[in-house]
Amino acid sequence: MMCEEAMIDRDDYAKRVRKERKNRIMIEINFDKISSSIDSNHEEDITRDLKYLSTTHFELPPNSKPGEFLDQVWDHPNAPKPIEMAHGTTTLAFVFNGGVIVAVDSKSTQGSYVASRTVKKVIEITPNLLGTMAGGAADCSFWERELGRRCRLYELRNKELISVAAASKILANIVYSYKGYGLSMGTMITGWDKTGPCLYYVDNDGTRLKGQRFSVGSGSTYAYGVLDSGYKPDLTDQEAQELGRRAVYHATHRDAMSGGFINVYHVKETGWVKISSDDCFKLYQKYYNVKPINDNNNNA
Amino acid sequence: MFLTRSEYDRGVNTFSPEGRLFQVEYALEAIKLGSTSIGIQCEEGVVLVVEKRLTSTLLEPSSIQKVVEIDYHLICAMSGLTADSRTIIDHARIETQNHRFNYDEPMGIESTVQSICDLALRFGENRKDGEERMSRPFGVALLIAGVDERGPQLYHSDPSGTFTQYHAKAIGAGSEGAQTTLQEKYSKTLSLQETIQLALTTLKQVMEEAVTTTNVELAVISKKEKKYKIYNKEELEAVIATLGQ
Amino acid sequence: MMMDDLKLTALPEKEVPISHHRFEPYVDNGGTVLAVAGSNYCIVAGDTRMSDGGYGIQTRHYTKVFKLTDKCVIATSGMQADTIALRKRLDTQLRQYERDHGKSMSTPAIAQFLSNTLYHKRFFPFYTFNLVAGVDEDGIGCVWTYDAVGSHERVRFSSQGSGNQLIQPLLDNQVGKFNQQIVDGPRELSAEQALSLVKDAITSAGERDIYTGDFADIVTIDQKGVHFEKFDLKLD
Repeated sequence: MMCEEAMIDRDDYAKRVRKERKNRIMIEINFDKISSSIDSNHEEDITRDLKYLSTTHFELPPNSKPGEFLDQVWDHPNAPKPIEMAHGTTTLAFVFNGGVIVAVDSKSTQGSYVASRTVKKVIEITPNLLGTMAGGAADCSFWERELGRRCRLYELRNKELISVAAASKILANIVYSYKGYGLSMGTMITGWDKTGPCLYYVDNDGTRLKGQRFSVGSGSTYAYGVLDSGYKPDLTDQEAQELGRRAVYHATHRDAMSGGFINVYHVKETGWVKISSDDCFKLYQKYYNVKPINDNNNNA
Repeated sequence: MFLTRSEYDRGVNTFSPEGRLFQVEYALEAIKLGSTSIGIQCEEGVVLVVEKRLTSTLLEPSSIQKVVEIDYHLICAMSGLTADSRTIIDHARIETQNHRFNYDEPMGIESTVQSICDLALRFGENRKDGEERMSRPFGVALLIAGVDERGPQLYHSDPSGTFTQYHAKAIGAGSEGAQTTLQEKYSKTLSLQETIQLALTTLKQVMEEAVTTTNVELAVISKKEKKYKIYNKEELEAVIATLGQ
Repeated sequence: MMMDDLKLTALPEKEVPISHHRFEPYVDNGGTVLAVAGSNYCIVAGDTRMSDGGYGIQTRHYTKVFKLTDKCVIATSGMQADTIALRKRLDTQLRQYERDHGKSMSTPAIAQFLSNTLYHKRFFPFYTFNLVAGVDEDGIGCVWTYDAVGSHERVRFSSQGSGNQLIQPLLDNQVGKFNQQIVDGPRELSAEQALSLVKDAITSAGERDIYTGDFADIVTIDQKGVHFEKFDLKLD
């Protein structure tokens, strides 16, 4: 895949991109407007700004591949400090007889700097659908909000809730249509539809997998260890919630990019419920039975 | 000197010498053929009731839906060519969802109605490539009910693209009689329960058949909950029972 | 119909002749902004130094905090040119919103809208680091903090810009009271305490960060409106 990319020179790439875009259903680029976008005066600017409010649109960097543009910009001695986008994470979700458990941490890092300890990494797409956030925070939250908008319109038009399969497919189609643009997203879409509890994994390559257990992010390997060893389908609700919490906790213990609070959600037939939000430090004291050196008043 | 009416009533772009747009006026007539819809706003919320014309006993009543959801806080009832309303409603749904997406808040009632009327006005315009062509005015009038930070509101929009706010309004075949009744009976101090009763009794008066759970639809949007509720069969039955004779 | 609103349009690529110069679209003009919110106030500070991306100072009077509405300001550090472009977009939209909806945009709505505006430049980002600060509809102070492409979070306090790493830990300690032993639990700062803390914080950043200094705009936002004042920082 990478070799293929490298062999194509810029002109070819542009041609290919143009051809691909024409064939797309999801994304239409209107080439008629090229002339109007050049030497526009202020008034045209305003009308353009307004016009594009209702449809999602993206401005592309001139004369370069969108996916590689930023790397090129930072790659010279006088470049300003690179834009660090918020990243993270340990997230996991698994299906069991009582529904789906979603457990996530809440730390967001920009490089080695901790940007936030209180990020909401479970995205409430609709009252029946949950998504998780791993990878670029902006990419995840923006596209899952867009997904929420489309699911709501689906619900209004069809008078029934969208299936998890369909919702995850919409998201996968969107990100696939931006292949090569450098999106970064690893998410799990879960919910309870006519087919029962459902879990899909979707990432920025366009991968879409249905499964029983997934964990995504820098701490995912640690979380898998705990999750896989403790999992069985007939866990009670409480056991399942505790398994999710413990798995993410142990991941935050070994992965410096994960931490903060551990949020646990449970998807039931009637919709999702937020179960708990615990400080990692308090869980540490609990799991290892450590007495606090100073009574911790860790609020955020 | 003046040409006869029939020569000016073909195109939507041509005024008659008296300054009338006949096609728009004919569209307004289409509404008077439609089933009756009544909307009443009170301090606590807005009530919409609609007559469903069951032209045949073989017709499945639940397949006719005359009160539709635009968003949680916005519903609408219609009279006239209801098929036309599908375009309008879909437009309104997209607008309200886009508004939530852009601003993380529900869209205001008046701005939603405004955007509906912007669409109603597009007939006869030269659309650009890719935009849908609309060759005639819509033949449908809407009663739009909703609650926002300004409180409960009821709007009426018609094919000419005009919209007006009302305390109580009837549209459709029985609108004249119903509007007179509303004029007499409406008071600003009505409670939500009284408003529901007024709406239903008014509709009952102008309906040819008796009011049953299958031939009327009742929806309420209350100021407190800011969410609409369409009455189901049992709830409707309970309300009808309180009407008396 | 369904397909219609699935339509996503990208702006057309401009036909730029292939240039052999390196494309360097960004410069970091530096500067620090911070904001602290309480239950009925919000205090924002931003220094007024603008550097040339290196050691040069281009001006000592460049205001980084802009009033958007009577209840909301935006504080932006990063590249001045992008800041202007971003603010123009916001201004246009704010005016249009006011005409369309007959009210000015609420602070939470502005916060969401800024996120979308930033994300629409996802593939060619604005080199700006933003805070949206103000009071919401109920008069409660609020701050939103952003990354360059629109990831945002509502917080009680935050800082952005070149002095971020100097100021944020101070705020964590003094406003957030993280990891402290307080018997009655943490108490909220009064508006006066917050004001003096914000002044101290920006002064300290000015001492240790070469891109921060000269003057500070201190902005107080409450139910009564937005109030700007100037504050001296070191000029060296």
